[in-house]
Amino acid sequence: MKKFIFNIRRYYKYAIYSAKAELKSEVADSYLNWLWWIIEPLCFMLIYTFVFGTVFQNNEKYFASFVFVGLIAWEFFNRMILGSVKLIINNRDLVTKVYIPKYILLLSKSFTYLFKTGISFLILIPLLIFQHVPFTWHMLLCIPIFMVLYVLTFGIGLILMHFGVTLNDLANLTNIGLKMVFYLSGVFYNIQKRLKGRWFAPYLLRANPIAFCMHELRKVFLEQKIPSIQGLGFWLLVGLVLCMIGVHVIHKNENSYAKVI
Amino acid sequence: MKKKTETTQPVTKKKIALTVKNLHITYRGLKKTSIRAIWTKLGSRVEKFHALKGISFELEEGKILGIIGKNGSGKSTMLRAIAGIFSPDKGTINLHGHTISLLSIGVGFNKKLTGKENIYLSGMLLGFSEEQIRMKEKEIIEFADIGDFINKPVKTYSSGMYSKLAFAITAILETDIMLIDEVLSVGDARFKEKSYNKMKELISDEHRTVLIVSHSLDTISSLCDEVLWINDGDFVALGPVEEIIPKYEEFMEQKTTSGS
Repeated sequence: MKKFIFNIRRYYKYAIYSAKAELKSEVADSYLNWLWWIIEPLCFMLIYTFVFGTVFQNNEKYFASFVFVGLIAWEFFNRMILGSVKLIINNRDLVTKVYIPKYILLLSKSFTYLFKTGISFLILIPLLIFQHVPFTWHMLLCIPIFMVLYVLTFGIGLILMHFGVTLNDLANLTNIGLKMVFYLSGVFYNIQKRLKGRWFAPYLLRANPIAFCMHELRKVFLEQKIPSIQGLGFWLLVGLVLCMIGVHVIHKNENSYAKVI
Repeated sequence: MKKKTETTQPVTKKKIALTVKNLHITYRGLKKTSIRAIWTKLGSRVEKFHALKGISFELEEGKILGIIGKNGSGKSTMLRAIAGIFSPDKGTINLHGHTISLLSIGVGFNKKLTGKENIYLSGMLLGFSEEQIRMKEKEIIEFADIGDFINKPVKTYSSGMYSKLAFAITAILETDIMLIDEVLSVGDARFKEKSYNKMKELISDEHRTVLIVSHSLDTISSLCDEVLWINDGDFVALGPVEEIIPKYEEFMEQKTTSGS
């Protein structure tokens, strides 16, 4: 753990700089530049709202905001997991030429995703105003909820990153897994209402941290409620344990990665 | 004779920069595999490749060590292990607190960004702080000598310009111990000479310890103080240039005649 803190101190500036560099290069030669960061989430929200609100007749209150909050949490999780699996292999040039603690790569990547998530949160504000959602102090509680989601995702990402080095087809497997989690997390439906009375509904919410975080985020944004402290504490603990396992595994194996890829 | 000179020298002057003890490296363990392969190959033994078999040496501060050996004898592997990219399977590497870098071309470059931004990116990756790089930035740009291209994206560079910038970064941002793996020839003839001279200047600094891997015996004999010869991962000899190089040449000649 000491080594982890030392490394983070030493390399966090690089992580930030390389995250900035990556964001810059992402928009460097596209016509609409950084506008894509706004257009993309907005379009996704419109698509889902149309398909599941109009076509499938969902009469959830503030449906567009409901979908958008879910999408913010989902997109972050999705990007992190997809990014982490191939992270080491995609950075082959770097990994084989210089020593860098490998979780710094994931940290840097996560900064770029956090930045995009931040933009999405900014878009959420006018959307909430547009839908006449009352603004209350509860909304500030989205910060601790998102932190729990971050810690969890980082932990899972670390572990996937490690196995992604040696398991060639892990990417295919995670793709399937992510699709499943996507539909089971209720990005565009309310698990509690839709699956009322089904025996597995409570498990879906409780055993799936993404669904849980999404649900809690919606509670603070749309229902002016306080999130479940117990639940958050539990998942934070799980997230921290996953992070510790991940860091340990990577410390133990990272110097062998260069021999494999 | 060598021993005599060492004992007569005052002890304070001799500072060890690098100690490598019984270094073993095998390529195995983490083998690339797929999920299907795990099922079918469960229990079968993974093959090992012993790249280094117990190399030990010590290097004084300020010395320049050349490493020679035929292809595949583990020279680059050893440099990477000393740089900390690989972990040794057995044995230890002690840097005695010195900073170290493997001189490699264009580490961590992002081709869509400008040359200037890449100086920072690459430099920070090598462990320098933003301020340190800012101080050296001008010197790097001057040395790279690629004109206005420094403010253009790296992907627009010619391959020569690319290596010039990359070389400038690693050459100007210097560390106590430098590991050089066959990178003495980049760019056009003029730059080649410039970089060769710079390299000479860099490594002749009396506090800088340098390890050079090269197949060019001319380079080795003109730059190095000592030579380490390894063959198929085994230690063969370590000593002054004049002593080892002829033996090595003889050995290589023997090989070619017996091979043909």
